[in-house]
Amino acid sequence: MRFRSQRVAYYYFVVALLLYGLQIAIGLLSAAKYLGPDPLLHILPFDRAKEIHTNLLIVWVLTGFMGAAYYVVPEESRAEIYSEKLAYAQLIAWTGMGLVTVTGYVFGWTAGNKLLEQPLPMKLIIVVVMLAFLFNIVMTIWKAGRWTTTEGVLVAGLALSAVLYLPALLDFDNYTVGIFYRWWTVHLWVEGVWELIQGGLLAFLLIRLSGVDREVMEKWLYVIVGLTFIAGILGTAHHYYWIGVPHYWVAFGGFFSALEPLSFFGMAVYAYSALRRSGLSHPNRLALHWTIGSAVYSAIGAGILGLAHTWPAVNKWTHGTLITAMHGHMAFFGAYVMIVLAMITFAMPALTGKEDEQSSALGMWAFWLQVIGMFGMTMAFATAGIVQTYLEHILSMGYLDTQHKLAVHFIMLIATGSVFALGVLFFLLDFFFIMVRAPRADRGVDARGPLTALTPRGAEAGE
Amino acid sequence: MTKRQTRFFFLGSTALFTLIFLGLTLDSHRQFVNLTHVDQLTPEVIAGKQVWHDKNCTNCHTLLGEGAYYAPDLTKIAEQRGDAYLHQFLKNPSTFYSEEKDRRLMPNLNLEEVQIRQLIAFLNWVSHIDTNGWPPRPLLVSGAFPGSNPSKTDQAAVSSDPVALGEAIFRQSPPGCSACHSTAQRVQLVGPSLAGIAQRAEQTLHDPAYHGKATSAEGYVRESILEPSSFVVAGPTFSAAGHSFMPDNFARTLKANEVDDLVAYLMSLK
Repeated sequence: MRFRSQRVAYYYFVVALLLYGLQIAIGLLSAAKYLGPDPLLHILPFDRAKEIHTNLLIVWVLTGFMGAAYYVVPEESRAEIYSEKLAYAQLIAWTGMGLVTVTGYVFGWTAGNKLLEQPLPMKLIIVVVMLAFLFNIVMTIWKAGRWTTTEGVLVAGLALSAVLYLPALLDFDNYTVGIFYRWWTVHLWVEGVWELIQGGLLAFLLIRLSGVDREVMEKWLYVIVGLTFIAGILGTAHHYYWIGVPHYWVAFGGFFSALEPLSFFGMAVYAYSALRRSGLSHPNRLALHWTIGSAVYSAIGAGILGLAHTWPAVNKWTHGTLITAMHGHMAFFGAYVMIVLAMITFAMPALTGKEDEQSSALGMWAFWLQVIGMFGMTMAFATAGIVQTYLEHILSMGYLDTQHKLAVHFIMLIATGSVFALGVLFFLLDFFFIMVRAPRADRGVDARGPLTALTPRGAEAGE
Repeated sequence: MTKRQTRFFFLGSTALFTLIFLGLTLDSHRQFVNLTHVDQLTPEVIAGKQVWHDKNCTNCHTLLGEGAYYAPDLTKIAEQRGDAYLHQFLKNPSTFYSEEKDRRLMPNLNLEEVQIRQLIAFLNWVSHIDTNGWPPRPLLVSGAFPGSNPSKTDQAAVSSDPVALGEAIFRQSPPGCSACHSTAQRVQLVGPSLAGIAQRAEQTLHDPAYHGKATSAEGYVRESILEPSSFVVAGPTFSAAGHSFMPDNFARTLKANEVDDLVAYLMSLK
């Protein structure tokens, strides 16, 4: 850790990972509800469990992004964070917002709009916190008077995320128009500006893990994010096909969303070629695994599995089935969960002052169990989705009767989901009990003592 | 390629495609008026949309294929089920399904009378949105339809046999007959099975409880389509207080020759 204020990132990572654990627990519960019957029907029905599962994902991944930005920006701009206090205040407001929102969901306080269920007051807090965060980051760069392409792409992604959240504040009388603008936030986040964030973090990690020349990496970063927007902006149309829009969106959506895999393949090639030269020699093997994993899994999950059902002639039949869940789970995990976990595993040795320590065996188990578990879950959703598409959408068998036939796939989903959850549990144990340990006494500790401030005891004492 | 050039590629292409996207958005707004029947967007429909959101319906159901995959798609439910049925259903969904059989149950939302009407108005409005032909075949809540061949729907136009035409209409949505009525023996969906309806129509005519105007089995079948409440078959999900749950608007929504074809088809079910 070269800058004392980078330690802010640690607290963001703590919050992110705790919410991750909760998200997975609720996700497993939701999977069990698919098999049924549901003893919790009157306590926590499926709709509430599901919105908690997806909202926790969005909140914790964004928490991870912000933590990552607080780690990356000082290092790239070579300056302390503009206001450490603001960063902490913002984290407290953000976490409070997250907890109130989720608690509200349990009691039915919801805007009932898919993925944007946050009630309006909570949405306003999100906007305020995002603005405070951007202010802090931009001022850091401004004061330093130095910025790199890597952090520029990262910060642009974060800033555009805030801008694209604004349509979510509007309410439309026309349901179709409401859906139309909902995708401005949801699609242009995950298949647009969040890819800038992923690309920026990937470039940051690859430059450090492989030692490849920055100029080369940043040149190609522009190409990748350029491809992202060429395909992603008009690719929004693949959500528009059947919701009541003019027919030309079907043609635009088919063509441009078929190009969407390009940027993900670009990232995979990018990571592969960078690391091939360095020969995986970096001691932080865990961060290497998560980084390559993110590039590979997003190419499969977002790229190939997205392409699998984006073509209108296919989507006509698969739309509204578990095929969407198949793509959604692996894409989100590959592109955003894994890149955040890569940042966390990369930053932790520096944040705790144990830079030469090897990755723990537990951490490697956490990686492989999550990767294998997610692969299995994707297969379970895929097989369920194919059967559902055929029986319900092609043969017009009733929904309820079709779901009976899917029971075996739901059992597979729960089994592989449990493997995944075990991986997440291992990651949390690794993070809280192995990565975070007071540095050994023989190690030279920074005179100002930022390292000890990271141990749980030191954290309580605070500054 | 230099970094300057790739930066220009990024900024230039992003600006270009953003402009195209905004242009198409403007044009879409012009067309939403017709595609979504904005003239029918009454205060009741808008209030129903609010109920839809407040009750978090979209996190179990899909609507226009969007939402969660835990419960049936509701895009065409209003035309498949009709007001009377949906009204009764929303008062207490659990009387229409059983957790033992379906493994899932919709919780009672405790909706007020006015909210139920608003929600149905909203779902009815949604069912008329021009969705570019989605869903390509009717999405049904229940029923396995042994022996049915949904592709017949697609082939209907090439036949001139009234029975074949009638069957095609029976399986289309709208009118969505097959969403509630099975044509197989003893397969009961939410409406009575229509297997053997030709014979049963004959028996009903001689039933002392029958007070309708029909004098022939064919006339009875026709009457049941156009005025469902003129004679009600007993069943917990069929009717309440002598009023059938079946939509009573087919006299308006079906053409005379379509009704003829349907009757011909149903009379062939012996």
